[in-house]
Amino acid sequence: MSETTFMGVERSLINWKPTIDYSKCDYCMECVEFCPHKVFEVRENEEIRLIVKNPDNCVVFCRACSKTCGVDALSFPDKNMTTQRIKEIRKEMETHD
Amino acid sequence: MIDHFAILPCNGLDKCAGLISRELALKLCESAENEILCPVFYRVSDKKYNKIASERPLLVIDGCLTRCASKLAAEKGLKITKKIIIAEEAKGHGIKLNDNLRITDQEQSLLETLFDELNKNDDNIVPPPSESAMSCEFLYETFQNGKFIFRIPKNGEVFFNENDCWAYVIGNRARIGVTDFVQQNLSDILYFTPPEIGAEIDQFGELGEIESSKSVFELVSPVSGKVISINEKLVGKPELLNENPYELGWVAEIELTKFEDDKELLIGFDKYFEIMKKKVEEING
Ligand code: SF4
Ligand code: SF4
Repeated sequence: MSETTFMGVERSLINWKPTIDYSKCDYCMECVEFCPHKVFEVRENEEIRLIVKNPDNCVVFCRACSKTCGVDALSFPDKNMTTQRIKEIRKEMETHD
Repeated sequence: MIDHFAILPCNGLDKCAGLISRELALKLCESAENEILCPVFYRVSDKKYNKIASERPLLVIDGCLTRCASKLAAEKGLKITKKIIIAEEAKGHGIKLNDNLRITDQEQSLLETLFDELNKNDDNIVPPPSESAMSCEFLYETFQNGKFIFRIPKNGEVFFNENDCWAYVIGNRARIGVTDFVQQNLSDILYFTPPEIGAEIDQFGELGEIESSKSVFELVSPVSGKVISINEKLVGKPELLNENPYELGWVAEIELTKFEDDKELLIGFDKYFEIMKKKVEEING
């Protein structure tokens, strides 16, 4: 399974995951095949056939699956903002220690 | 100038971006002594194209990010000299592509632009001046998993991020690269897109890309600063990354701007060694 912390910060506190633009996605499932971390889940019989099931499994700062998406349907949060947030949380953790 | 190239384009019957790659390939063939490798025919028969493919430099024109043409080149064991992805180029030129499979004015003008750029770029293939003066001496720790041996530098000057990139820091400079984990995981590396010299990169910013038939890896910079040189050998010989991603396959050098701040989100050998071992075990069991 995936890391539960990133740089000492609990993974669930870090917002880093792919977002699927359903107006573009054609359910080719390249991203699912590509990512080894079980972030996506395929739901065969539902209208929305692909969801981001386990966002916290996504490797912080990885954007690799978006490079396999032919229609550019995957987006990620801003890296700078994420870095800032991680630093803030680490500061908060220090003051609580 | 693109001349005497073998050109492997997307077949161009699925998306508009593909259509442009096909038309661009045709235009390049009309204007100079280039030759197209038809991806559909090539898939079923090697004979016709093997000779050209082995004798000429190869230009791959992918339509979209599915990169069918690149993948085919990988399957056929071809060395890619140059490549472009139309969807990315369109984005870079602020053009939103439609769903049509016929050329309209918009596609035509993008096509002309890309044609000019391709022919222009190649006239000044002279590499930009790089000022590489760093000499890095690595000391390694290794571990084995199955038949693979992984090496990890253990010098105090080497820092890592959890995205499997290293930075060898001397004074206000750092040499950057990827670890053995990345190169083993990607397997045969076929293409390296370097960062631009002079680019200002934030910590965790993108520092070029490495591509294998399996996937594309975006280098996540461990430090922030300005790119002052790239490993030019790697541009022509991306396989150096598989051979040795440290001494030979380093990627770029950066003039550090905020290293003291960056350090907060860097780890040293002890920690990275554990993380990498765990990752390798997760993947290989
Ligand atoms: S790769 Fe892109 S288009 Fe294909 S399923 Fe994933 S998000 Fe959808
Ligand atoms: S960004 Fe990386 S880890 Fe996250 S879902 Fe995509 S491939 Fe998987």
